[in-house]
Amino acid sequence: MSTWVKVARYNLLRPSICLLLPWILPFSFAVGALTARHSHEATGYLLTFFLYFAVQGMQTVGRSLPFGLALGVSRRSFYAGTALLGLALALVSGLVLTALQAIERATDGWGLSMHFFRVPYLLNGPWYATWLTSAVGLLALWVYGLWHGIVYFRWGTLGTLAFIVAQALVVVAGGVIFTSEHWHVFSSAGGSAVGLTALGLTGVVAALAVLLLAGGHATIRRAAV
Amino acid sequence: MTTAISVAGLTKSYRSGSGLLHPAEEAALDDVNLTVGAGTITGLLGRNGAGKTTLLRILAGQEFPSSGSVRVLGAPPAENEDVLRRLVFVREDQAYPEIKVGQALRVASWFYPNWDSALASALADDFGLRAGKAVQRLSRGQRSALGITIGLAARAEVTLFDEPYAGLDAVARQLFYDRLLADFAEFPRTVLLSTHLIDEAAALFEGVIVIDRGRVVLDAAADVLRGAATRVSGPCLAVDALVAGRPVWERRQLGSQASVVMIEPLSAGDREQARSAGLDLTPLSLQQIVVQAAAGMLAPVPGAGFATERTSA
Repeated sequence: MSTWVKVARYNLLRPSICLLLPWILPFSFAVGALTARHSHEATGYLLTFFLYFAVQGMQTVGRSLPFGLALGVSRRSFYAGTALLGLALALVSGLVLTALQAIERATDGWGLSMHFFRVPYLLNGPWYATWLTSAVGLLALWVYGLWHGIVYFRWGTLGTLAFIVAQALVVVAGGVIFTSEHWHVFSSAGGSAVGLTALGLTGVVAALAVLLLAGGHATIRRAAV
Repeated sequence: MTTAISVAGLTKSYRSGSGLLHPAEEAALDDVNLTVGAGTITGLLGRNGAGKTTLLRILAGQEFPSSGSVRVLGAPPAENEDVLRRLVFVREDQAYPEIKVGQALRVASWFYPNWDSALASALADDFGLRAGKAVQRLSRGQRSALGITIGLAARAEVTLFDEPYAGLDAVARQLFYDRLLADFAEFPRTVLLSTHLIDEAAALFEGVIVIDRGRVVLDAAADVLRGAATRVSGPCLAVDALVAGRPVWERRQLGSQASVVMIEPLSAGDREQARSAGLDLTPLSLQQIVVQAAAGMLAPVPGAGFATERTSA
């Protein structure tokens, strides 16, 4: 068993992943179903599941890293193993979302005309597109959370705050550049992307995930416990 | 004897104070040089804040040196898994994730090639650790017991213990010493044990390293230290006659009686002279010697074979 897989298994032991994670989806689905009679669009509740991934990525650092290092794991392996767990969970969860989407289609929205797993534009294509897009999105969020966890571990609340402010500045700067260059990525009509399909967007998110992965790695390299 | 740990010119500074433009640097370790032979049990002693934990963290690759060289099993330990998987570090303030005792032991077994499950269960039983109990719910003593169990069952070539038995009662501590010695005899390894309970652990030590304010103030074989200092007490004149011209630590006098600590081994002639003069000779315990060393009282002792590094600020 490679060290990465061992680290992934070690992180998987935490109850918030192995016990709680499978229940987030049924819970948010139940809430969506309860409100379905008022609105058939319940896809917003699916967001909970995605955000939970970011939170879990964040929480894998704080206490797991010190014990991991105490057991002779290097930071590099801890990081790679944790990212690997994120990838595995994202692939499995993406598959589950894809299967549930197929069922939702076949049963006309669970008999309620509900749109929970069919997210307009993003998760509304063939099964492989749904799987790929959701898995890439979940992984990106996991890695994003992971990076925040590392930043918090090293520099505490103030450091995390500075990190978030820096991100906001990057986003604002990017926005200014895009608008001044008249790079209209999204058309004003219908929110669909001009020249960017859902799969194209998935590619962008995948590239972003790679960047986040590199950032987290650079941050954990000198972490002291 | 091969060297398991060698440290040269090791300095670790932390930023202290709040000045952003002119941050003050505080040295937790200041030009530390030491070597630890393979297959020995060495005591790492010193006061709180002396730098023991920082040194152990650097040896375990958990912290990075500011300068100097650190080699464990022949290579720098930081991020070096060839070294790290042969090393275990049990620290007093170990943080654990949200897992159960049994899971913590299972995880440890994955990472250590020489892990002994039978020993781990036996130790857990001895210490009354229940596998199903959440680590977060353990008392301080039980947490220490878990650390000790991992540290011993890992059978790592280099085993670092930092105050491993905080909160453990005397019976459990004795259990730790006994188990450590028994397993060490069967599977020799390099053990570096930091502790404040010096006299209690003294019998374990082959070597002793004392750190004070980030510097090594004493690095010697325990055998040499045991006979190295003797309290001589009795009539003033007889005491003075015996210690005249020889290094001493402290001198107390009450009326016609005096008491002096002599810091060199006594010869047979000295003992005979002391006996006939009615002087009382009491060897200083390791703890008393360490207290003196940490207080900066230890002068180089000629002929005693000390590898003492005398440092002064």
